[in-house]
Amino acid sequence: MSGYWAGIMAILCFNIVVAYSVFLPAASGQLNLGAAGFVAIGAYSSGYISTDLGAPMLLAILLGALVTGFVAFVISFPILRTRGVYMVLATFAFAEVVQGVFINLEVFGAAAGYPVAAFADLNVIVPLTIGVVVFVFFLMTTRLGLSMRAVHDDEPVATLFGVHARFTQVTAFTLGGVVAGIGGAIWAHNFNYVEIQNFNILLSIFVLLYVLIGGTQTAFGPLIGAVFFTLMPEALRVSEEWRFVIFGILIILMMVVRPEGLVTRTMLDRIKGPFIRRKPAPVVDS
Amino acid sequence: MPDSVLSFQNVSKNFSGLRVIDEVTFDVERGSRTALIGPNGAGKTTVFNLISGVYPIDQGQVLLDGDDISTLPVRQRINRGISRSFQNIRLMPHLSAVENVMLGQHSHSRSIGSLLFPLGWLPRNRWAKQAEEALAQAGLGTYPGEVVANLPYGVQKRIEVVRAMISEPKVLMLDEPAAGLNEQETEDLRLLLEQVSERGVTLLVVEHDMQFVRRLCDQVVVLNFGKKIFEGLASEVQEDQAVKEAYLGTEDVGDAA
Amino acid sequence: MLLVQQLISGLMIGGIYVMVAVAFTLTIGMLNFLNFTIPALFMLAGMVAWGLTTVGIHWAIALLGGVATATIASLIVERFTYRYMRVRYGDATEHALPLVSSLGFLIVFEHLVLIVLGSEIQRFPNPFSSADFYIGGLIIGIPQLASLVLALLIVWGLSTMLKRSRVGRALRSIAENPDASTLMGVNVNFIVPVVFIITGLMAGIAGMLFTLNYAAVNAYMGDEVAAKAIAGMVIGGLGNIWGAIAGGLIVGVTEVLAIHFFGADIVKIPIWGLLLVLLIIRPSGLFGHTAIGKGKF
Repeated sequence: MSGYWAGIMAILCFNIVVAYSVFLPAASGQLNLGAAGFVAIGAYSSGYISTDLGAPMLLAILLGALVTGFVAFVISFPILRTRGVYMVLATFAFAEVVQGVFINLEVFGAAAGYPVAAFADLNVIVPLTIGVVVFVFFLMTTRLGLSMRAVHDDEPVATLFGVHARFTQVTAFTLGGVVAGIGGAIWAHNFNYVEIQNFNILLSIFVLLYVLIGGTQTAFGPLIGAVFFTLMPEALRVSEEWRFVIFGILIILMMVVRPEGLVTRTMLDRIKGPFIRRKPAPVVDS
Repeated sequence: MPDSVLSFQNVSKNFSGLRVIDEVTFDVERGSRTALIGPNGAGKTTVFNLISGVYPIDQGQVLLDGDDISTLPVRQRINRGISRSFQNIRLMPHLSAVENVMLGQHSHSRSIGSLLFPLGWLPRNRWAKQAEEALAQAGLGTYPGEVVANLPYGVQKRIEVVRAMISEPKVLMLDEPAAGLNEQETEDLRLLLEQVSERGVTLLVVEHDMQFVRRLCDQVVVLNFGKKIFEGLASEVQEDQAVKEAYLGTEDVGDAA
Repeated sequence: MLLVQQLISGLMIGGIYVMVAVAFTLTIGMLNFLNFTIPALFMLAGMVAWGLTTVGIHWAIALLGGVATATIASLIVERFTYRYMRVRYGDATEHALPLVSSLGFLIVFEHLVLIVLGSEIQRFPNPFSSADFYIGGLIIGIPQLASLVLALLIVWGLSTMLKRSRVGRALRSIAENPDASTLMGVNVNFIVPVVFIITGLMAGIAGMLFTLNYAAVNAYMGDEVAAKAIAGMVIGGLGNIWGAIAGGLIVGVTEVLAIHFFGADIVKIPIWGLLLVLLIIRPSGLFGHTAIGKGKF
């Protein structure tokens, strides 16, 4: 594989992983505009563990993810008190605080950036990414996944069937943090250099867009969204700026044509319908 | 003294100074099929909301099996065996019929293990099987995998009933289950509810269709302007003077029942 | 004395934050919609004005052209965001739809400007280069002073308009209960564009004042200002116009003082940290009574 494609592949994996980190809270009805903050925590912590503490890279990635998950768990309690616009703003503010902290931490090179020694090639990144995707798909089929989607659709009614809404949302947010940490670790060990400037509001915005455009109803959404918006610009042989313009126009049109996202439950039904139409259960005469 | 599974004791509720439930006391007998009726705005749905904990009560007690549940959070009340449906359909629009029904099973699966049980990956697991059978029993066997937002109103209405009854609660509260159903569907619903009742589930039903109430229910509680004006056997309600007056001008209970 | 000087310049830049914060708070209060195109509208006003001066148009006309462009752009946004939101039913994340569209517009506007006008910082001809005056040793720039006064006057006029006029009453009834106001004969399809026109005008005029004050423009000029304005809006409480005024001025003064005492990098933590705390423990803002937009997008 040429270096060019390897680079795209690595970015694609990063985008997919981070998209899933935003998807998990979004699937339970929480919008997170602070992905960049969690990714930064994952990148710096795993980089520090592998470089300064000398841990093996895979262990460092795992620990970085756990550190990020822990931060997400702690911050989820105050953050989940907010809703809607307030939550969008609160997660955004959180990411700004994280950025402010890292840019002043001398141990991480402050504004100059932090070099990471160990290198993760595609042999590490791709399996990690596949692992995250499979995990989220699995999660969405469990009763916890069902609770998440129920809370997303109608929180008060979900509560009236015994769903612990707060537990469900905290879990989704924390798992989102773990996944974001994996994304940050991938970044740190693939580029071998962590600069806080890379984890800015634009990253948070783009990742949220992948998820909302892909669709929050099924686990296919973020995958399709991230793949489409990562590869589409590469396919267009135009300047960087025009790619962004086309990206923006696509977002606007998508919201007009498919406001619930590219992949919806109804669409999956239609695709599945003719092939695997499930045999209806026998109708019991009453 | 009859064995009451659910009991309202001197309960009052105010909304911004307006008393919508006024010192109401009634008992729901274990295993009974009790109807809660009254003109529009009498406070029937509010009673459901007070029992399930959507609103806190201002005064009085709600007893379930003799325990005061009126200070418990919603989830604990549900886990003690209360289940309900809604006047306006409140299904999860993006879940399929069978997933909505599986949500109704939630109160039976609270351990971490059951939370991580892959409902969707094991095609005929016991939860899915139970949900599909319940749907089939309600005559909805053709819809299990379809997203409910795309289903017709009458079907959604019945899925709501199935979702509420799947957990086999002590008290099943149904808010106008027959509204919007045609005659055949209403009759099927009644037969379904009788089966549920025979399994020992107590029914508490808010309904405007008096014929449905008369055929299904044995006990009746009548509310008017937040006050209880009648409590007793279904066969006696149409003879009651206060009930007749409450319905005068809106709906003639004697004629309808 | 230096401190007083800093306070004064904080108030001056605060005037610009006030206008942008009012634009944000108005769309949230009226339409429950966090409009991310506002930084782009702000930037459009400045950049288009600069573009017009390069083809020989007088600076004053160029500035008006910039504001007009921002307003028209805002109407285009309305066509594709809020109008679609109104016809959808739905749950929490579906209401994010206009927010997503507005992010799309932000990207489109910024990059179109980059393509047409470039990414460099451009000098805008400064018509009042030496129009400062001194009061007891304090330097007060006339354009800065004028823009603060103008900003406050416009916001005052706007809030009077919202209280008194028929359009204002219709707008407030939509904010309180969109369904009921439709029933009561308020034409939503006519009245909603009014919000977007006001948004475009506020952001555009703020961009114009910024251009005049700093005599420099670039394609990213809206982003920082918008972040500060959002901070001001949060301080004042979402949907609260008078809160946005106070909040915008507070942010302006705090920013100048904090940079003066601590330096630019470290101030980010306390400012955004305080905002985070405020959003969580007091979502109605420092003075708040309104909490419009809570629970919805």
